[in-house]
Amino acid sequence: MSTAHHDDDDHDHDHTPITNSETPPSYYEIMETAVRELLIERQLLTAGEIRRQIEVLDSRTPALGAKIVARAWLDPEFRERLLANGRTACEEEGITFYDDTQLIVVENTDTVHNLLVCTLCSCYPRPVLGLPPDWYKLKPYRARAVREPRALLAEFGTVIPDDVEIRVSDSTAAVRYLVLPKRPSGTEDFDEEQLAALVTRDSMIGVVPVTLPSAGGQP
Amino acid sequence: MNQSELLLKHLPNDIGGLPAEGFERVDHPLEPWEKRCHALADVLDFHKLINTEEKRRGVEALGSEMIGKLSYYQRWIAAFVHILFEKGILTPDQLARKMTEVEARFQSDGEP
Repeated sequence: MSTAHHDDDDHDHDHTPITNSETPPSYYEIMETAVRELLIERQLLTAGEIRRQIEVLDSRTPALGAKIVARAWLDPEFRERLLANGRTACEEEGITFYDDTQLIVVENTDTVHNLLVCTLCSCYPRPVLGLPPDWYKLKPYRARAVREPRALLAEFGTVIPDDVEIRVSDSTAAVRYLVLPKRPSGTEDFDEEQLAALVTRDSMIGVVPVTLPSAGGQP
Repeated sequence: MNQSELLLKHLPNDIGGLPAEGFERVDHPLEPWEKRCHALADVLDFHKLINTEEKRRGVEALGSEMIGKLSYYQRWIAAFVHILFEKGILTPDQLARKMTEVEARFQSDGEP
């Protein structure tokens, strides 16, 4: 099965750079610029809105999700609110939801491991994690996550014991998910900041556990 | 299931559970135009010009051949263009003229 790599070399014409630092815009970049400018000229949107949204996108990183996870590990009442309604609990922490989506937080336990996917496209909890990695958007992950999650997780080095149930949540345009990973042992004395530093993007997608740096990235 | 039944039951985007092999943990930092394209998608959604579900269906409507040949954000901008034509918000002629203008501008001053 071919993997749809992002590839700038798929044009049918030569794009020799004018200088080392400048590459002529691709056909699609020209199209993007043209569409944006036409819509601005028609006053259907403004350049300021695009600029502001780029700033919003830049401000969303997995650090936001990590803070939420650390908070839930330390504060049982917050954890309850987070599991009851992910969106309002995150909003309580100052994270705005610019994309009009709901957030369901699913918790990993000793008996359940959660994995997120969007089989139809690339729906992802962007307000709390930023933009998804390419592999999340490509066919092998989307096709296999719901068919053979254990085998797929093994490719991330994550081996889930047979007696642990794997639940796969399939995101939609309106409903997004976030994994609340298991807190690693040996972190009993950690404060929120120290805990948040351990929580990776991939652990909140459910493809790896949260581990201590000394554990060498292995569960 | 024969080939046509499989095609009928799985539109191009609907690949969950289909046989697939391999997996590579690939990623790349977004190029500036890709980030602008993402911001454009969000702003189009805010203004109810093209919502997320319309965008998804627009990508699907490109068909499996084009989906296979275009990168992620190339599909998005291609889908937006088709949807904006369909809704009568832009015409192919307007877009062609603007693209010529943008390209010429880049060639003359190095800015897109």
